[in-house]
Amino acid sequence: MATAAPAVRRQVTTMSAKRRQEALAGLSFMVPALIIFLIFLIIPIGAAVYISFTDWNGISPVFEEGAYNYIGTANYSDLLRGYHVDGDRVVAASIRQRDFFIALKNTFYYVIGVVPVQTTLALLLAVIVNQRWLKAKGFFRTAFYFPSITSSVVISLIFMFMFTRGGLVNQALASVVPGYGSGNYVNWLDDPRGVLHLIFGQFGLTRESAGAWAGQRVLGLTGWEWISGPSVTLLTIMMLNIWTTIGTMMVIFLAALQDIPGHVYEAAEIDGANAFQIFRRITVPLLRPTIFFVVTLGLIGTFQVFDQVYVISSGGPAKTTLTVAYMVYQNGFDRSAMGLASATAIVLFVIIFVFTILQRVVVRERAAV
Amino acid sequence: MATAIQSQGVVTAARRRSVGRLALATLGWTVLIAFALIEILPFAFTVANSFKCLPAVQSYPRALIPVPPFGVSCVSEEGAPLPARAVSTPTTFNPTLQGYEEIFDAKLPRWFANTTFFAVVITVLRLVFDSMAGYALARIRFPGNRLLFYSILGTMMVPPVVLLIPRFIILKHLAMLNTYQGLIVPLAVDAFGIFLMKQFFESVPGEIEEAAMVDGASRFTMFLRVVLPMATPALTALAIFSFQGTWNDFLMPLIILSGKSDLWTLPLGLSFLRGAYGETLRWHAFLAGSVLTTLPLALIFFYFQRYFVEGISYSGLKG
Amino acid sequence: MRKVHFLTLAALLALVVSGAGAAFARQTTSLVLMGWSSSPEENNALNRQVEAFMEAYPDIEVEVNLVPDYDTTIQAAFASGDPPDVFYVDSSKLPDWAEAGVLDVGTEKIEDPDGFYQSLVEVFTYNGEFYCPPKDFSTMTLQYNKDMFDAAGLDYPTADWTWDDLRAAAEALTGTNDQGQTVLGLVTPPNFERWLPFLYQAGGSVLNEDWTEVTLDSDEAREALEFYVGLVRDGFAGPPSAVDAGWGGEAFGEGRVAMAMEGNWVITFLLNGYPDLNWGVTELPAHPSGGEATMAFTVCYGVAADSDNQDAAWTLANYLTSEEGARMVAEEGFGVMPPRVALADAWLAARGEEFKPFIDVAEVAHKWQFPVGFGDVIDTFNAGLQLAFEGQALPEDVIFETAAAAEEVLSR
Repeated sequence: MATAAPAVRRQVTTMSAKRRQEALAGLSFMVPALIIFLIFLIIPIGAAVYISFTDWNGISPVFEEGAYNYIGTANYSDLLRGYHVDGDRVVAASIRQRDFFIALKNTFYYVIGVVPVQTTLALLLAVIVNQRWLKAKGFFRTAFYFPSITSSVVISLIFMFMFTRGGLVNQALASVVPGYGSGNYVNWLDDPRGVLHLIFGQFGLTRESAGAWAGQRVLGLTGWEWISGPSVTLLTIMMLNIWTTIGTMMVIFLAALQDIPGHVYEAAEIDGANAFQIFRRITVPLLRPTIFFVVTLGLIGTFQVFDQVYVISSGGPAKTTLTVAYMVYQNGFDRSAMGLASATAIVLFVIIFVFTILQRVVVRERAAV
Repeated sequence: MATAIQSQGVVTAARRRSVGRLALATLGWTVLIAFALIEILPFAFTVANSFKCLPAVQSYPRALIPVPPFGVSCVSEEGAPLPARAVSTPTTFNPTLQGYEEIFDAKLPRWFANTTFFAVVITVLRLVFDSMAGYALARIRFPGNRLLFYSILGTMMVPPVVLLIPRFIILKHLAMLNTYQGLIVPLAVDAFGIFLMKQFFESVPGEIEEAAMVDGASRFTMFLRVVLPMATPALTALAIFSFQGTWNDFLMPLIILSGKSDLWTLPLGLSFLRGAYGETLRWHAFLAGSVLTTLPLALIFFYFQRYFVEGISYSGLKG
Repeated sequence: MRKVHFLTLAALLALVVSGAGAAFARQTTSLVLMGWSSSPEENNALNRQVEAFMEAYPDIEVEVNLVPDYDTTIQAAFASGDPPDVFYVDSSKLPDWAEAGVLDVGTEKIEDPDGFYQSLVEVFTYNGEFYCPPKDFSTMTLQYNKDMFDAAGLDYPTADWTWDDLRAAAEALTGTNDQGQTVLGLVTPPNFERWLPFLYQAGGSVLNEDWTEVTLDSDEAREALEFYVGLVRDGFAGPPSAVDAGWGGEAFGEGRVAMAMEGNWVITFLLNGYPDLNWGVTELPAHPSGGEATMAFTVCYGVAADSDNQDAAWTLANYLTSEEGARMVAEEGFGVMPPRVALADAWLAARGEEFKPFIDVAEVAHKWQFPVGFGDVIDTFNAGLQLAFEGQALPEDVIFETAAAAEEVLSR
């Protein structure tokens, strides 16, 4: 007993010393990243949060007296409630509220449409170009990756040229789809009609026949407006996004596939599993961390969609491609409302964060099953 | 009898399986080739149009087939621009080098050298810093580990447009505007890369490290000698993404370097050539620049993708 | 081991960082002139102007800094309190920048203001102060395809045309070409600034003189929008996308529309891109009651309120817009026109007499400029106009909604 006690104590100290050493090692591994993040990301983000509570126009020299006023939560109130109170005056901001919810609606349709499709396609392509039997792997991989390496401005311009009304896409469709001709070509780049509205229309459901709820205003938009789906033009931009990002995501999956030891597959093949079963039962579960990664990236990227809207549509036609990130740019750099832009950015940040966490919970629960 | 039926069953099953395989392979090839076409066709148009005279780009952008005479001049003897019809039909065109000549008159070689320098240095720094941070987040238990991870992830969720001006002001106070280090230092680490490496390290079994730990190796030695060599696929992916991301980045170089055209990168240069109003765009030169910007990346990718060969896995358990 | 590696890294970083060069002091005053890049020829002309300036004023050194994505770049420079000394100011940005206090007032400092077109002086006058001397300008005119008019047996448009002539010609010129594609009489971009001339021709306005009241909700506005939308609904006109084009100039160059209403930027675009196109220019048609109007798009040289060398900066801005300085650009005959009445002939001599209508309309040109934050109103209008083109909104409702949006923006 007398001899045992010091031994235990020594063990405890070495344990905590070891833990301390580990903590030190961990932090020292992170030091370069932390310093750079602090200066170039955390401080700017802090600044953006601060600016969101001011009426700064984004132009006046920010350190000069009177460049901005502190206005509390007025920017957030404008966005979410459509007005703010200034002293005893109620200032209307229904355009801002309406624009914000239009942008939010468009962004949601965008995310819901793009993320599942790009993830699935990328995974499929990665599995295919990882097959042993495939010839000219290098060619295919490079081909699939091509849109990702071309700058987004160039790619958007090329895309526009292919999707104009008399462009290649319509011509190709006309040669395949019977009854599709220059008389009824879809005007991909300039068609504000909602895709869901069009589909409902096929079943005879229109705004008039839908009932009273269609005219009910919720958060600045009518019920009928909320269920529009993406407009044809937004759908075109969604296709562009899928097309340019599957290459990147394929590479991520490809890198992860390298970590699945070959013997796992062989064992499965010997057990008589077919290709689909192998994919479903072995590949997908083993790739779970990577799927989380790719879906998170997809969420972040699509919620922030900006480049393509900037180059192709500037939010039009009829605001159907106005996205939250584009609204941030518009207010910050075009409308002298950097405070509002920052508030919009912060709200978007919160939304993305919540969705990422939700997604993580879902992926984890699936893994547990 | 019983055995005969049984073996017959095995044969049909085997045949069925091979038929199934064939069908699957055919389907696979069709999908692959269709996708490859969809992905490559736009680039083919970029290349074709970069070799046309300006009027031909505008009137016959769809002409894909080059026909002789090659190397035509785009102006008549009097120096007036030739109409589209003179050098192109709706499907064919006479190639010219005019776009490439115009873009070389600009500071293209300089921009090219700058971009290469930035991309190489930033990629190397990211490979080091991102993998260190990713490793620490995945493997080392220290207080605030998870908080740090979510903070880093969170930085990706703020739309970068609102960070432009604060960053610009910080760089100005550090006297780093319009300098090489002004672009390199802020980009030397990125959240995406840390996230990528962390996810990768999490999927690597810990036994090998534990063995090295028992041998008394320090964390850093182990990281260098044991962990990094296993991470070739992830590092390759990170290298490709960093290089490509830096190569095509526009917003950061714009605010940091726009004051000094000697420091510009290719995207800045191309954007400069686009002019303030899209209407004056010299398409042929712009597309020539795009081709020259894209090709090096394609070559680099083609070279590096070899590291994604099935079965080069750390465990050496290749089938 | 770890130490060694961190040292190498630190050394590497230090190497990179030590590249910073210290700016050396000059005895002369040095200025930075910031702008956006135009065609290579125009960029070179600006450089020549600046060289001539430095010869005339040897103690002032000017660095020309033409940047990509100008608006973003200069906004960051303003916000950090370190703007260029002289810079381009687009007329639509003047209210924002004047309100933000980043522009020096030029009322007392701009030389020979009477030599400018008075409509341009008005554009750059805000709250009673003349802020900056105009650099150049463009106006909107009517371009027509001579071959198509000939084929249809119509007389070419003239300055005497009214809305009725425009409509009749557009109807007659609508049809299909030999490849079976639709050809429209007129291209009508779904943008506020394309419609505004019709509003002004009809005698309407958007806001009152001092921008305190919304005047848009008027019979004139409804008439103008009904006319503009009517052309589209009746099938004689359409937005560029209806004829597979990205913008009006392209639609016109491709021969898919017989008439377009573009500004000076269309000149070099058509001459370089469509050298065999046979086209002419005339003034925009007038309202049947005779009202004439067009839009002017213009840029001036602003001087920074924060500049350390304001005197030198004003010397430069004045030189570049003086008769002597601006002549150097006018004689090159670019698309854009010189800001001084006296230089019109020099421009026409270089550019060609056939482009005279662009200059002729200078005095009936309205400014493309609205109060800060008016982008919300313009977007509301454009979105409504697009729906009206599709038949999903009535012109009167579009006017009503736009006016309501304008009320809201003014009350902020």
